[in-house]
Amino acid sequence: MKTSHIKSHFEYGLVGIMFGAVLTRIGFADYDELHKMFIFSDLRMMYSFAGAVALSMVVLLLMNKRVPKQHKILQPGTVPGSMLFGFGWAITGACPSLVFVQLGHGALPAVFTMMGIILGVWMYRKAHGRFFGWDTGTCGV
Amino acid sequence: MIEYWSWWLGALGLGGVCLAYFLLVGRLLGVSGSWAKVVGWRENRLLRQANQDFAANQDEMSDALMAETLAEFGEDALQEFQSESSISETPAKVDVNDLDSSTPWTAHLCFLLCMFIGAFATAIISGQFELRYELSPMHSRIFGDTWEVWLALLSGGMMVGFGTQMAGGCTSGHGLSGCARLIPASLLATLVFMISAVFLSMLMDVMIR
Repeated sequence: MKTSHIKSHFEYGLVGIMFGAVLTRIGFADYDELHKMFIFSDLRMMYSFAGAVALSMVVLLLMNKRVPKQHKILQPGTVPGSMLFGFGWAITGACPSLVFVQLGHGALPAVFTMMGIILGVWMYRKAHGRFFGWDTGTCGV
Repeated sequence: MIEYWSWWLGALGLGGVCLAYFLLVGRLLGVSGSWAKVVGWRENRLLRQANQDFAANQDEMSDALMAETLAEFGEDALQEFQSESSISETPAKVDVNDLDSSTPWTAHLCFLLCMFIGAFATAIISGQFELRYELSPMHSRIFGDTWEVWLALLSGGMMVGFGTQMAGGCTSGHGLSGCARLIPASLLATLVFMISAVFLSMLMDVMIR
């Protein structure tokens, strides 16, 4: 294995640990908290989310030149895909990162959510190649 | 009752993670992209190999094309064409790394697994850890028996996986990174998934009353 590869494993791992810890302490893995956010009875996590966006917006603007251009485009799948994701999030309480946080809390049924996500990602790849074929602009590609 | 972080501490933490990801990795945070690379590592490797083979055999390919051109149009046409184009002749090489990012897929797997480790360690330290057979009392109240909960989670997970890939991003990719850069597609996507999640949650809340 190349040294650069070991380095990138270490970097990704470090951020992963931080991300998991922060999501845990905010309470995103707690379905009740999430449900309370979605029915607007407790907006604490919504404020956290908005605050995080505002903070990174300011800092990224300050480093504007170094930020790579993101390949995020409006494509035919943006709206239906987001809608599916929103419904799935309300049902499972998990977005693609929160499923690991839920498992880390000891919520065993999250295993089913994870199987579902793996199946869903795999199915989309198949469906995309066969039927859609447009540019989705998925993160980091 | 577990004490969670106040909203401003959460905002600092979450924003800090986004910036740490950018500073360490050099890209903007996007978890569904990592998922795509982990689930599709085999196909991506095949694609990369095909590209490498093509890049290695490029001379062979152009020789074959040249022979075909000779057979079709004759020597004169070819010489004429070469004298015209010799000025701006640039070798076009296929850039292998351009087609697929050079980060190995195992680094993305490492990222996802470390999220679990970080959550697990933090949950133990802060006393949040508890082995549970249901997601939460509220979740079971909404979905009913054990097998119904499992079925709901499996199909919901499929919606999450399929939807995030279709939309080209999730809460982190569109919501955190995309909105922070004010990208129109991300703003729209965030609006749509928030509204649909709120809509379904309100519906579920009304139904169990």
